[in-house]
Amino acid sequence: MSATRVRDAERPSGTALRLLAHDVVRASVGEETSYADGLLTVGTRQATECFAHPALAAVRVSCASPGDSTRIIKVLDAVEPRCKGGEPAADGPPGTGVFPGLLGPAQPCGRGETHRLSGAAVLSAGFLPRAQEAVLQMSGEGAELSPLSATHNVVVEFEPAPDAPWEEVAEALRVGVLRLAVHLAQAAVTAPPDSVEELELPSTGSAGLPRVVAVTNIQTQGAFKDVLVYGRTMSGSLPTWIDPCELADGAVVSAQYGHPALKNPTFVHQNNPVVAALRASEDVELAGVVLCPEPVSEREKRLVSEHAARLCAALGVDGAIVTKEGGGNADGDVALKLDALEDLGILAVGLFAEMAGRDGTAPGLVVAPSRANALISTGNYDEVVRLEATDNALGGERLGIVDAAATDELDIPVAAIYGSLNPLGWNRLTCAAEL
Amino acid sequence: MRIVHYVNQFFAGVGGEEAAGVAPAVREGAVGPGRALAAQLGSEHEIVATVYCGDDYAASRSSATEEVLELVRGFEPDLLVAGPAFTSGRYGLACARLAAAAAREGIRSVAAMHPDNPGLDEAEPAPVIESGRIGREMRQSIERLAGAIKTLARGEELHEGDGRIGRAPRRNRISETNGATRSVELLLARMAGDRERTEVPLPSFASVTPSAPLEDAASARIALLTEGALVPMGNPDRLESARATRWLRYQLDGLDELEEGAYQSVHGGFSTVAANADPHRLLPLDVARDLEREGRIGTLHHEYLVTAGNGTQVATARSFGVEWAAELRQAGVQAAILTAT
Repeated sequence: MSATRVRDAERPSGTALRLLAHDVVRASVGEETSYADGLLTVGTRQATECFAHPALAAVRVSCASPGDSTRIIKVLDAVEPRCKGGEPAADGPPGTGVFPGLLGPAQPCGRGETHRLSGAAVLSAGFLPRAQEAVLQMSGEGAELSPLSATHNVVVEFEPAPDAPWEEVAEALRVGVLRLAVHLAQAAVTAPPDSVEELELPSTGSAGLPRVVAVTNIQTQGAFKDVLVYGRTMSGSLPTWIDPCELADGAVVSAQYGHPALKNPTFVHQNNPVVAALRASEDVELAGVVLCPEPVSEREKRLVSEHAARLCAALGVDGAIVTKEGGGNADGDVALKLDALEDLGILAVGLFAEMAGRDGTAPGLVVAPSRANALISTGNYDEVVRLEATDNALGGERLGIVDAAATDELDIPVAAIYGSLNPLGWNRLTCAAEL
Repeated sequence: MRIVHYVNQFFAGVGGEEAAGVAPAVREGAVGPGRALAAQLGSEHEIVATVYCGDDYAASRSSATEEVLELVRGFEPDLLVAGPAFTSGRYGLACARLAAAAAREGIRSVAAMHPDNPGLDEAEPAPVIESGRIGREMRQSIERLAGAIKTLARGEELHEGDGRIGRAPRRNRISETNGATRSVELLLARMAGDRERTEVPLPSFASVTPSAPLEDAASARIALLTEGALVPMGNPDRLESARATRWLRYQLDGLDELEEGAYQSVHGGFSTVAANADPHRLLPLDVARDLEREGRIGTLHHEYLVTAGNGTQVATARSFGVEWAAELRQAGVQAAILTAT
């Protein structure tokens, strides 16, 4: 008897995850949490209970919607409300199974049914150490610079318990936001979905189209600047492959509070824009996601980058889209991978935010690839924009970066606007030479 | 149009490097490349005077641009033409600074140089027309410049089609589609064979060929330079700690060593604790004086040049390099030790 290869027909294929979307067109805070006909009501008591933790003295929940004269400052993270549908998991209450490793056991997710509140987000806002102040304008000039000005945002402000270690405050807040996101999505599970998306299992190449992988670098710089995969850090790890459906179920959660414009909020991992764009293309097949840590030393960056390229080669992919998280040194992680991938015959495109100076005349890349030259610009970090004054502010009274009241008219660099230069290509901002 | 033409000492026929220190002066009418330019321009336009200056003089004296411009003003020209400077750094900077200063006070001006010339970034608001790389490409360079001058004479602006070069500032804008969608489109284009398409042109950093070793260090004059932002305590001249726009000079004559507490580094890119405790680790005056005493080097230059190399724009750093080189050559320095941090 001789060994043969597994035939395509014998492999599992078809739908891996059904995403049932419930559109949110209005959001407000009220007595009891409910969802009907696009109206999301956030029950104050129920929302507050999600944050019951000794490290938190108090939380306050409010809503900010598109067009409101509201500015949210010190935004820390954003999460799309999601929960599992169908039969409850054996080891959890109904609806759990999302955000594994943080809300439940770290078990593979991304199968079955998941409900999502489309057009809504849960945001945490306030002070944490190492966090850089992020600004999100909900209306007027400057609002178009962040994708989250178009969502109905449930904003959680918090007060740490006296003497609570900051790491515990951050963790309590992070887990609370995830709980609240699940709680809100659960209000919609009995409502008929507005749309259903069938997410396929990753391609095996049977369609004959070029297979493309999303190489997603995540920041790994310790407390307050880390990203969790199944609840654990990737610091010190080699790259790994992950099913995009796992991202949809919250396998990757941000614990990274620096770089307002250059971070990838949890929302963006749940809705990975590169994955979405590859799914939407009729000319390529999505071959999954390669998650990579971003070490700080050059030697480690080389190790991770060359390993990522070898992993992609072993996956037999034809192309890769490489993204980063964070400031200047993270350019190196993208540049090294682009060159390493193309050296192995895998065509690669990298997304970069430019640091071209206030007047846009400085070289935009801190570390550029030397051979792979196909680059997308997500905008110039240094350009200054004006944000009009607002009636209300959430997240704090004052903005330290410009020493102004949180509601003042502001001239600030794009770098401070939450999500504006998003490295995963979430936003429509770009930068070009003006001749 | 009445045109005044600016050239360096070489193209004015005054001399080569031995004459690089000559002060600004005037020749009546067209000289050297100006004659070829005049022939191209025909009888409608006249080069009424040629103003020239030595390359070292122009690059090392902060007053040089104003001195040359004063000579230009005397002719009340309709247009000032500077160059072509090809890839010559000192000449290119002189052309760019003169054209920019003239334009700022309302004298129409145009400069010509190669895109790699460090002067290119200093010409704004004056336009720059592309020239060849070396003097042998004079003919084509003059033809292009003459075409641009005729365009200006018609009262029109200069564009890329006229050979205009210069870095266009990059500005943020909202695209039709998000970055992720554009990245997939770009990948498909690359897969279809387009290996040039990009939204961010790769930066090109010029490489520098090191010069040959000194033949006789024992008779050489050696300078100490640093980008480590080492300045007298208190930073009396307010050197920037990042994104420096200038450089400074401080005396070394009469000093055997840099006393702890008398100097500090204001560099914003590294911990300055060790450097402040022993400034010699940024500027090795201690060992340099030893070598001088032992006769292993000739003399140490009487001052050191310093800037802060931290987030400095490449164009600015290139200008500093040209200025330092001219400065040191003028001072008879044969070699320099530039400490980098």
